[in-house]
Amino acid sequence: MTTLAVSLSAFGRPEFWIGVGILVAIYAILTLGLQLNIGYTGIYNFGQVGFMAIGAYAMAILVVEAGWSFWLALPGATLVAVAFAVLLGLPTLRLRTHYFAIATIAFAEIVRYVAQNADGLTGGSQGMLGFEITWQTIAASLQDQLGLAPQLSLVPLLIVAWVTLAVLFAVLLALGRSPWGRMLRAVREDEDAVRALGKNAYAYKLQSFAVAGAVGAVSGYLLALYLSFLSPEAFLASVTFISFAMLIVGGLGSFPGVVLGAVIVQVVLEGTRYLQLPLTDFQVASLRYILIGLILILVMALRPQGILGRREEMVLGG
Amino acid sequence: MAEGPILTVEDVYVRFGGVHAVDGAGFQVQRGSVTALIGPNGAGKTTLFKVLTGFQRSERGHVIYDGARVTRRGPHAIAARGMVRTFQLTKTLAALTVLENMLIAAQRHPGERLTTVFARPRAWRRRESEACAQALELLDTFGLADKAGDHAGTPSGGQRKLLELARALMVEPRLLLLDEPMAGVNPSLGRRLLEHMERLRVEQGVTFLFIEHDMEVVMNHSDRVIVMADGRVIADGEPQAVRADRRVIDAYLGTRREEPAA
Repeated sequence: MTTLAVSLSAFGRPEFWIGVGILVAIYAILTLGLQLNIGYTGIYNFGQVGFMAIGAYAMAILVVEAGWSFWLALPGATLVAVAFAVLLGLPTLRLRTHYFAIATIAFAEIVRYVAQNADGLTGGSQGMLGFEITWQTIAASLQDQLGLAPQLSLVPLLIVAWVTLAVLFAVLLALGRSPWGRMLRAVREDEDAVRALGKNAYAYKLQSFAVAGAVGAVSGYLLALYLSFLSPEAFLASVTFISFAMLIVGGLGSFPGVVLGAVIVQVVLEGTRYLQLPLTDFQVASLRYILIGLILILVMALRPQGILGRREEMVLGG
Repeated sequence: MAEGPILTVEDVYVRFGGVHAVDGAGFQVQRGSVTALIGPNGAGKTTLFKVLTGFQRSERGHVIYDGARVTRRGPHAIAARGMVRTFQLTKTLAALTVLENMLIAAQRHPGERLTTVFARPRAWRRRESEACAQALELLDTFGLADKAGDHAGTPSGGQRKLLELARALMVEPRLLLLDEPMAGVNPSLGRRLLEHMERLRVEQGVTFLFIEHDMEVVMNHSDRVIVMADGRVIADGEPQAVRADRRVIDAYLGTRREEPAA
């Protein structure tokens, strides 16, 4: 983590906002998968960060340990995450909502503990390095071509992250509007009604979960490229909860809401990093989360469906 | 049309804890018939419906639908074969529009498969417009066409029953199981519902098995009546015969006891 500099001048630096921009895109991608699960299908996936971790670590391990090319490792890591989603979903999606939620939290924690302790594979708490060499070459040449100043070295990643977000956003929007997406919404409303109409509700839940896993993996390797150092602390359960905050602020059932929610929550989280207050660093860090809590309470009170959610299609407490 | 009964139920047995909800029930439903399933509250009618449509496992016995044993099949597989149920409390999906409610019941829709959404857009768009036309036609028949764009939570309870029946028809059923179709429906809508049932039977050869408490409906609109009590079938025959059956009267009114000996 960067040190908590107590200086307002940091706000003026473009590097700071480039970093925020990259994180917004990464979190928005992560949350797109969550939106598909919770807003569309009504399955309470509380372990989305687990897929992010699997995507990041699988990519890094395939490149560093197995010697795969970076370009093969990306789809490879996505497939690993999908495989985990299917394996986890097969037994747990038959459970009732709350049990599934608990199983997914446990899954994400298990992934993190494995990353922390499987030293031989993941480097444990020492972390992993050296998976982004291919990317660094591309980033450097992009920087040259765009004629960017040296301190703007993260601009290529910013561009790639937002292009990826745009593509995934378009894909999920199209899926959501397709008859397949309509079946997910029907499953969310009433699984038995769907079954009685000859449709396999369980298969739809599994597919939704697998797609969320794939999308989570993409956010994972983007995060890995941003950090250029992988360690288990990047994948705490709080990542999923921040993602939930974005989902609820933006509006359940709305993909544009995901992007808006990611912008709002991330700007508040990062923008308050350099607040000059007569408090200790630790207190400032806590204050940032209190602010997110206040925003959530305000949204719940004033616009319970979220900023871009639709009232007729309220998913929680409707 | 194939011969023999469309549905054969043998020795179905469901127990919840110590309660025998269905206790060895068996009967047949003839093709093209309108069969009523009646019995006092707690007789096991709805549980039996759940067994027939795969929502509940029977501990023993068989359900044979259209010549094939469906006892161990899942609800969606049974419905897709043409044995379709409705629910006692309507299960219209309130957050979806009336038209969307109809469309989720469309069969053989490539757009509902994740792999074909992007791979074969033209194929599923063609099926989608077909299904839309079919749905709008059905909604029109049931007098719901003007509600097509509304959210399905807004129509009245009676209209939701009609919607549920219309939606079940999208599955192209050959045997429709209706759980108390007349409950909570006003008389004029109820008459329409009965007319629709009769028309479907005559025009499309749909067989009906329905649970009903309204004896007038049962006696005048069914050609066979099955009576359940305490999880068993106690009578099975033509309406007039069943009405006169001693066991049926006893089940509804309580058994007459002999005067205790003085």
